[in-house]
Amino acid sequence: MGTISKQKGSEDFSQSCKVDEFGQYGSVSLILFWRKSRGNAESPKPGVADNAMRFFREQRGILWILSMVSAVAFLSASAQDAKPISFANLARPFIQQYCADCHGNEKQKADLNLGAFEGSPALYKERELWESVRHMLAEREMPPEKKAQPSEEERLRMVQFINEELAKFDCAELSRPGRVTLRRLNRAEYNNTIRDLTGVDFQPAADFPLDEVGYGFDNIGDVLSLSPILMEKYLAAAERIVSQAVLSKLPGCPPLLLESRARPFVKAPAPKQSSKKSPRAREADLESARRFLTAFVPRAYRRPASPEEIKRLLDLAANALEQNADLEESVGIAVQAVLASPSFLYRWELDPEVEDGNSQNSEAVRSLNPYEFASRLSYFLWSSMPDDDLFELAAAGTLLEPAVVETQVRRMLADPKAKALAVNFAGQWLQFRQIETIAPDPELFPAFDEELRQAMRRESELFFEAVMREDRSILEFLDADFTFVNRRLADHYQIAGEFGAEFQRVRLDDQNVRGGILTQAGTLALTSNPTRTSPVIRGKWVLEQILGTPPPPPPPEVEELEESRESAASASLRERLEIHRSQAECAVCHVKMDPIGFAFENFDAVGAWRELDGPFPIDASGELPDGRRFNGPKELIAILKTEETFPRTVVEKMLTFALGRGLEYYDKCATDEILAAAKKTDFRFSDLVIAIVISDPFQKVSLHHESQ
Amino acid sequence: MNAIHPLNRRTFLRGLGSAVSLPLLDAMTPLRGMASTTNQNPVRMAFLFVPNGMHMPDWTPSREGRYFDLPKILQTMSPVKQDLTILSGLTHDKARGNGDGPGDHARAASVFLTGAQPLKSEGAEIRAGISVDQEAAKAIGRQTRFASFELGTEKGRQSGKCDSGYACSYSNNISWRDAATPMAKETNPRLLFERLFGNNNAAEKTESALRRKRFQNSILDFILEDAKRLIRKVGNKDRAKLDEYLSAVREIELRLERTEKNGRQRRANDLAEWDKPEGIPESYEEHIRLMGDMMILAFQTDASRIATFMLANEGSNKSYRFIGVHEGHHSLSHHQNDPAKQRKISDINQFHARQFSYILQRLKSIPEGNGSLLDNCMILYGAGISDGNRHNNENLPIILAGKAGGALHPGRHLRYHFETPMANLYLSMLDQLGVRKDRFGDSTGRLPGLFS
Repeated sequence: MGTISKQKGSEDFSQSCKVDEFGQYGSVSLILFWRKSRGNAESPKPGVADNAMRFFREQRGILWILSMVSAVAFLSASAQDAKPISFANLARPFIQQYCADCHGNEKQKADLNLGAFEGSPALYKERELWESVRHMLAEREMPPEKKAQPSEEERLRMVQFINEELAKFDCAELSRPGRVTLRRLNRAEYNNTIRDLTGVDFQPAADFPLDEVGYGFDNIGDVLSLSPILMEKYLAAAERIVSQAVLSKLPGCPPLLLESRARPFVKAPAPKQSSKKSPRAREADLESARRFLTAFVPRAYRRPASPEEIKRLLDLAANALEQNADLEESVGIAVQAVLASPSFLYRWELDPEVEDGNSQNSEAVRSLNPYEFASRLSYFLWSSMPDDDLFELAAAGTLLEPAVVETQVRRMLADPKAKALAVNFAGQWLQFRQIETIAPDPELFPAFDEELRQAMRRESELFFEAVMREDRSILEFLDADFTFVNRRLADHYQIAGEFGAEFQRVRLDDQNVRGGILTQAGTLALTSNPTRTSPVIRGKWVLEQILGTPPPPPPPEVEELEESRESAASASLRERLEIHRSQAECAVCHVKMDPIGFAFENFDAVGAWRELDGPFPIDASGELPDGRRFNGPKELIAILKTEETFPRTVVEKMLTFALGRGLEYYDKCATDEILAAAKKTDFRFSDLVIAIVISDPFQKVSLHHESQ
Repeated sequence: MNAIHPLNRRTFLRGLGSAVSLPLLDAMTPLRGMASTTNQNPVRMAFLFVPNGMHMPDWTPSREGRYFDLPKILQTMSPVKQDLTILSGLTHDKARGNGDGPGDHARAASVFLTGAQPLKSEGAEIRAGISVDQEAAKAIGRQTRFASFELGTEKGRQSGKCDSGYACSYSNNISWRDAATPMAKETNPRLLFERLFGNNNAAEKTESALRRKRFQNSILDFILEDAKRLIRKVGNKDRAKLDEYLSAVREIELRLERTEKNGRQRRANDLAEWDKPEGIPESYEEHIRLMGDMMILAFQTDASRIATFMLANEGSNKSYRFIGVHEGHHSLSHHQNDPAKQRKISDINQFHARQFSYILQRLKSIPEGNGSLLDNCMILYGAGISDGNRHNNENLPIILAGKAGGALHPGRHLRYHFETPMANLYLSMLDQLGVRKDRFGDSTGRLPGLFS
């Protein structure tokens, strides 16, 4: 057994893991012993529980598999079986039994020979090959139907093994910030940018088609497309904005009219000018337009404008003047062009022109320039353009200095515009945007109405905002001793007191069943079916959004659970769901999903408290695959709060949103570092955000290279 | 806009409020007028999509040929029975996993009109194929003001995932401009009406309208030039994004040109029988019908000859309480052969078919040439999955309605060989529009015996 290479970023987690805590995981230890560190290490020494524990926490990885395999281990193995798992004792027998007939030394279908791997190969060195092997196994595409099939458990174990091995690359060797595809402003960003650019909150994007969602968010560059109908709406919006905003009053721009010719801002329709202006008046108009555009264009493009860019726009305005348009109209034409141009509609991170040859290096990386960075910051935290402070710091070249970054992030989080982070990030991470579309059955839930729907969404928004503004630990998302209610929601929650239509903060004492996002009515309702609660959906939601370990879809051809109202009357839901556990194929995942969901059974499909489900008393107790028991939501939440996977999930989701792209395997290095940094202050909100914005993927970009 | 309306200072820019819709005021009939001088009404093509498969035992007529019966779901179509060609046996092989695992719903939608295996991705790269409506739009779209219309009733999820491992683009769109660009749908009938006919406000004087058009052109030139300058400096993925931008701007430019060429105006208020829709109606049935009306209006006025309409997004879990079905559609579609659930699925299928029947009856009520507008249409209706429980993609439920200007002889139930690609049908349909292709999607040839 070799030594374990210590990874920066993992230290902090190991500190908190003690042997006795480890013992709680029971037979999970089985699989811990075959986890290895990312570097050059081999298996850890058996019995070094804290090391093993560290791996457990550190290496949860981006995939769901570990938790599933924990379940498998729990179900089928006992601690006595524990021995280090390696390529030799896990992968090779699997390959021999299920793959080698077609992909072995004898026969190599698809030119694939898995029999050629001897000893313990570094799988990550042939990443593509093993990723495709993993994919075929995980998607149950291989082995083919007519061949012998591994059990669900064997399959998941093998998939997990490959995942583990692929995660072993060395962060020191592979530093890759990744590249974000050109991002179009989405609807929220467009609205906010126009608001900050013109000083008027037009909300012009209300009629735009919805932005498509990828990786759970609607700001992903690759997914945001531009169809003719949207372009049409951009042009129409530009025209409407220009016709309604007063150009002379735009923030940061000089008055359009020269002092001597200044007119009131409200003016009667301009009389049609029948004759051309004098050359002198024309000069004055052009000068005025030039001054205006010189100030306006850099704000709209969120970077300095080149003299050539200004000149082209000025030509456009001059051309309009030529055709007897007045000054405002002429400048308005140029402004419309700006608002419809790709420089405005997309967020550019254009690589500086490089000499031929340099661009061939696929590992080449550059730091963002201060303007690009300013935009990343402002669109991350505000879903809008940078403000004057950010522009000034960018111009001064100091924006990227760590101390400046920190000050700016704290300032931005305190700004009212940071509400955008609650609406756009949290609204999608915690999905309370979806509350708009839930449709509880009106016969079964007559109390549900529009007012309650709005109150549900509002509570979750205000709650997220409070954690952010008060700079609390993100762990409080799970259990907080406060929330926000108005009269409608207080009734729904049976909270006594005087409440009006406005929301107010309430303290939740230990006796209260609420506290944290998981017990908020919105979350509970959006994870229910229209006619009843769904412990499976709730459990799955927690695994996906909170623990970052989404379960795979059920195997094909499985029977789905009887959901009709008739069957609901015949047995309690818990009894009906027991079937999931009696069948090995289902149990692999449901043993994890269902108990989590059952913890919340006292909340009905619109999140109201109940003691009975129909005639059946509610039993909200359960046991996790690792043996930890709980009774009711509070006890479950106490367990969830200790899972390292929760902060990691928050980091992964937030980084995805901040970058506007899905995370890749190499982002694990940055994720680990962010997590370690945030852990130092117990995951205080601002520190987490700061750790994200100083990470490589947020500050740097891999140069694009054409050689593919 | 409900937002601030500060200072309406300029009369000449006020008014229609939309850079693009103004010239569209010109809109209504000229092309059709032109067409009639050549004694040939144009053929229109539309694709109506329903999600989550069909309860096939209540769909497929037991008899083939001219004397087919109308099972439960299709009974509501009896007024237009002689305008239907029911096609059994067609398959979308590319909607199957073929190595990509789960995600049948995402595939069912994205393959429906493309016949191309979509790339499984949550967003790293979106790739399906060009859809048949867009293939047609590319070729003949220039003859009308709008190359095509994309309609729907559901906007789509605003967070989270749509179907295992596939970005939401795949289940929310059936129309794809190219492999990477889904065509966003319009779901609001009011906005659709305004696109077609402009806002109903007072019209501008011709002089200022002309002037404005000139300015619009200069703006379009400017932004095109901008995009062209940028495109030289970017990598592949960014270039694809900029290509979308360029082609969208060109599309609008062409539309302005066509409007100009097609002569002078006829205004929205000439449409006495059409009240401008208010917005999205409460009732789903009303919503579908209103969107259908807009589509018909576009065909009638020859604003476009090509349309797609998703009656709901694929995988939709909408509840159909108004017909007594409380459960979500998608949950129900996994019916486990429970007769009670199958009956409810069948009820939902019947509800959708009734809306289709309404649309066909309207088309039939509009005279055109020696017959009706429907005679000059081919309206395809169907799903990308046959049985919602099994998620199978063979023997899809497909109807083609109309006479395609005389080439199609409806009033028949045709059964094709097992596994005949849907794309063969599309290849044949493209022929009817004069769009000759050797291949489309996974086509293996043309569909025999359908068109003459």
